[in-house]
Amino acid sequence: MDESAISARNLVKKFGDLIAVNRVSFDVKKGEIFGFLGPNGAGKTTTINILVTVMKPTGGEAFVAGHNVIKEPIKVREKIGVVFQDNTADRYLTGWENLYIHGLIYGLKGDELKMRIEDALEFAELTKFKSVPVKNYSGGMMRRLEIARALMHSPEVLFLDEPTIGLDPQTRARIWEYIRMLRKEENVTIFMTTHYMDEAEKLCDKVAIIDHGKIMAMGSPEDLKNSLGGDMLYVKVNNPMDEIKEFAEEIVRERIALSYRLVGDMVAFSVRYASKAIPPVFELANTFDIKVEEIKYTQPSLGDVFLHYTGRELRDEEGNWKDLIRMRRAARARMRR
Amino acid sequence: MNEGGILLAMTYRQLKRYFRAKSRLIGTIVNPLIFFLFLGMGWSFSLGGGLSKQLFGGIDYLAFLAPGITVMTIFTSSLVGGISVIWDKEFGFLKEVLVAPASRTYAIIGRAFGDSLTSVLQGAIVLCMMYLLVPGLKLEGSLPALALGLVTALSFNGLGIAIASKMRSPEGFQLIMSLITLPLIFLSGAFYPIDRLPSAAKIIFYMNPLTFAVDSTRYFLTGVNSIPLIADISALIILCIGFITVSVRIFERSTIE
Repeated sequence: MDESAISARNLVKKFGDLIAVNRVSFDVKKGEIFGFLGPNGAGKTTTINILVTVMKPTGGEAFVAGHNVIKEPIKVREKIGVVFQDNTADRYLTGWENLYIHGLIYGLKGDELKMRIEDALEFAELTKFKSVPVKNYSGGMMRRLEIARALMHSPEVLFLDEPTIGLDPQTRARIWEYIRMLRKEENVTIFMTTHYMDEAEKLCDKVAIIDHGKIMAMGSPEDLKNSLGGDMLYVKVNNPMDEIKEFAEEIVRERIALSYRLVGDMVAFSVRYASKAIPPVFELANTFDIKVEEIKYTQPSLGDVFLHYTGRELRDEEGNWKDLIRMRRAARARMRR
Repeated sequence: MNEGGILLAMTYRQLKRYFRAKSRLIGTIVNPLIFFLFLGMGWSFSLGGGLSKQLFGGIDYLAFLAPGITVMTIFTSSLVGGISVIWDKEFGFLKEVLVAPASRTYAIIGRAFGDSLTSVLQGAIVLCMMYLLVPGLKLEGSLPALALGLVTALSFNGLGIAIASKMRSPEGFQLIMSLITLPLIFLSGAFYPIDRLPSAAKIIFYMNPLTFAVDSTRYFLTGVNSIPLIADISALIILCIGFITVSVRIFERSTIE
């Protein structure tokens, strides 16, 4: 277990009838940035809550920084820093005061504490704003303060739950830069969750795609994309469903594409080289009397990977909302008991 | 585990928050003063000097009321402070404490202690006004009164935390405040003496912890009381330990998932 900063084995968390986390297992190497990619309600936050010891799993076990999260929660807490999805800084206190409280809670004191506060402020680029109440901070400033705060006691593992949710694109880019810098300078292992594909792709060494509480695929963004076999070719057609299916199956049978999926009125083919696949696809479309309205291809993104392994798009918000509401309800019902 | 650190951190936080929220400071002082001026002055003039002295153990009604108003200030502010832990739950500050390698028991005691200090400070401000408005209050009684005020504040802060830990959302906040504060204040002997009540009614008063706080404060400030001082003090200390213990237990249980 020496090599792993985090190791989870068959984690299960149930809220009533709902299984929020379903036999999840993974390992995070020391110094790695590991990402959980999935829609809202997929079980990402529940997994983090278990790993940071604020929730007990229904089954399975997990080790963080070498300690069992169920049996040695205090030891785990000593070695982790956590940035939750919602702001947990005290809005009425200043940046400096929030850091001061955090330091005291983690047993820092005297000059050492004062020094670390100044370092954290500098790292977060908030030295100028240290005497301003946090409620006047922008979203980006708040996030930077929280990340710097979580690092103040030099944790071995840093947990970031949706670090850029609700931020504008510019601020998001800045936070990414910040996370990359921190990995370089602080030698800390990072476990993060996100529902942004670009975020997972740009930041993470390793990504686990999670949906409905289950890990559907895991690997480096590169490997995951390569696992699709090459480019993605999207063909927009205007035909009855059975004809489209017949056509798509024929293309796979002819080994023009490796696999296909229906996405709305598009057929998504995974092909080795899109440029070589386009002419035979047109030819077959002619033979099958398929009306091609549009054709485009992309290098596979993590979004395509997500689509491939879960059968739906990550932007599929409606279904996710239902999941989320279902989960909240179940959690509430459980608390009432 | 780091007990001293979290105790200090939580106390520091409550004090800082208090001094930053000036409207809260003014609000909790204005309310008791309204009671004092409109209820106290009215009765004081109606009863006149002689009748008043006969009814209230040899002192004027305003002198009788002053300790009650001081205790009321401390009580209301500490109960509100305790229940406000629900906002910490709602707005996430609590999570920061839950993932720290620190004692939750000391976290909640530190919070209660910080809040109680601010409640006593408010009590002290109101008490100063009482000294200005009511001639003849004993100046030397102020320190023991405020010391016992701290015990009172800790008790009701504990009660507030226990209530808040059982609440799932902050919506019931106002309702609970008026359901608890007003009856407890009216049944504490803050506004009228309990000596002449029928014994059945007295039992209700003796069951109210606030009665002992009002009675002992009145003794320190005026020399008049209806319960032996030692009984008042013992009751308050036992109560304080009880409420704080219960609040720590309930709070810890409410944060485990």
